Amino acid sequence: MKKIPFLNLFIGAGYTLVLLLESLGMIGHLWRRRRAILTQMHVIGTQSVPIASFFMLLVGMVFALQTGIEFARFGQTNLVALVIVSAMVRELGPWMTAFVLIARVGSSMAAEIGTMKVSEEIDALEVMSVNPISYVIFPRVIGYAVMGPMVTIIGTCVGIAGGALVAYVQLGVTLDNFLRFAERGAAPLDIYWGLLKSFVFSLVAVAVACSNGMRTQGGAVGVGRASRNTVVIALTMTVFFNYLLTSFYRMVKTFISGLA
Amino acid sequence: MTSVRTSSLERRPVIEFTGVRKNLGGRQILDSLSFDVRQGETFVIIGYSGTGKSVTLRHLVGLMRPDEGSIRVDGEEITTMTPHELEIMRRKFGVLFQSGALIAWLTILENVELPLIEHSRMSKKRRAEVVQEKLEVVNLWDDRNKYPAEISGGMRKRAGLARAIALDPRLVLYDEPTSGLDPVIANEIGKLINALRDKLKMTQVVVTHDMESAYDIANRIGMFYQGKMIQIGTPDEIRASEIPEVQHFISGGKRGAVSKRSVTAILTGRAPGMQSARTPETQDVAAAGQDPPNQTQPAAPATQEGTAR
Repeated sequence: MKKIPFLNLFIGAGYTLVLLLESLGMIGHLWRRRRAILTQMHVIGTQSVPIASFFMLLVGMVFALQTGIEFARFGQTNLVALVIVSAMVRELGPWMTAFVLIARVGSSMAAEIGTMKVSEEIDALEVMSVNPISYVIFPRVIGYAVMGPMVTIIGTCVGIAGGALVAYVQLGVTLDNFLRFAERGAAPLDIYWGLLKSFVFSLVAVAVACSNGMRTQGGAVGVGRASRNTVVIALTMTVFFNYLLTSFYRMVKTFISGLA
Repeated sequence: MTSVRTSSLERRPVIEFTGVRKNLGGRQILDSLSFDVRQGETFVIIGYSGTGKSVTLRHLVGLMRPDEGSIRVDGEEITTMTPHELEIMRRKFGVLFQSGALIAWLTILENVELPLIEHSRMSKKRRAEVVQEKLEVVNLWDDRNKYPAEISGGMRKRAGLARAIALDPRLVLYDEPTSGLDPVIANEIGKLINALRDKLKMTQVVVTHDMESAYDIANRIGMFYQGKMIQIGTPDEIRASEIPEVQHFISGGKRGAVSKRSVTAILTGRAPGMQSARTPETQDVAAAGQDPPNQTQPAAPATQEGTAR
């Protein structure tokens, strides 16, 4: 048989997409799986808040410091607020939080499902006529899709707070000034777009994690591989989708300003 | 070759494999496999590790579909079933997987309860009663609130068995029920299997390579070798088998033989039952499996020894 280049890649992508659509098709099981969904929301969302907050706090602080040094040269340190808020809401917030979640949740999710697969638990469910997509995948997809944006909101706020802290302590921007400039940093549309982004990133991450888990083969090595592939593929896809969404957003914005 | 006289043979067949073939990754795992399992009997499939016994079980519950051939359960062809029909058909089955396959985040009790919650409209009270009953059968009621990671392998298998019989299936399949267990616990599992047959009239298929327990639980034993059943018979008939491959397997390699090439295969780390469709030499071995080659050890004295015990 002739080896077709990228065949596995296409098979993987197709399987991932089908799995995502199938699990979203289980939406009628929302009430039946409520306990599993709540558990997943807790694991994916609530438990990720501390690490995501800490991460975003430092991102905000470093970002404020770096831009602040430049703005100080022109005596415009107040502009730090504007830059921080616009960057956090549109890019850094959704993006960096997605990274944290992929590293913390995506990898472990793939490992967990992968272990179920290699220890025949998925087969056992199927033999008991319990649909593994409804029982295992669906609660995770819902949990991730709901909690991803939530953690992003918290992370973004904390990131901005970190920027404000550095601006106040190290750059001498008063809180009053910071808030005044911050307001101009983001329009409501920016905020919604940021949330949409993080929703898309969440779906991508959870689909990649579940699909890698479900395709795991070959014991502990396979589980390790599934987890590693998840992080690599999900990060790459996130960066890629981020670029697409940002370009698309620019088009939308130009279109809207053309109307006005 | 398959001269069998048991009372179970007069009963109707529940599971029928006819000419089932399956190729996996270039290896012919099942090669026109045919056998049947009768109502209320325990049919034990023996054979070398890694040769496709578990694959046979997976075909039986529709987790795999054969390339060719027919598999019937209660006279219904399952190879052409839709996913929905399969789902209904599977409710006849309880399956005990090799490692128990308990859901890791549920306690023992919740694991046994799982099929009841998913598939029956029992009241909570009735459900609790059924769970207690099943857990008492396998003697795990005291450990009901432990998680699978906290219990031993033998307990996990017993819990898996309790879950498999939770919905009172008519057919129970076991994948290596005694592997990795000490002889005492293995014996207990064997007793459980016998109790299910005698008291609950369940039809059971057991895949194992533990001859000790195979003799204890089987009504009939089928020796699986290179994709087919080379002998099917009662435990006594298997003990007295004149087929060198069967003698070789049941005696742990002390008697009989599997042909010279396969011995080389053992030495080079490949189980003799394995066969690759890619190399022509190994196919010769496959052909040799059907009619024992002359250069192998005569199995007659060994057979007498076997029947004596």
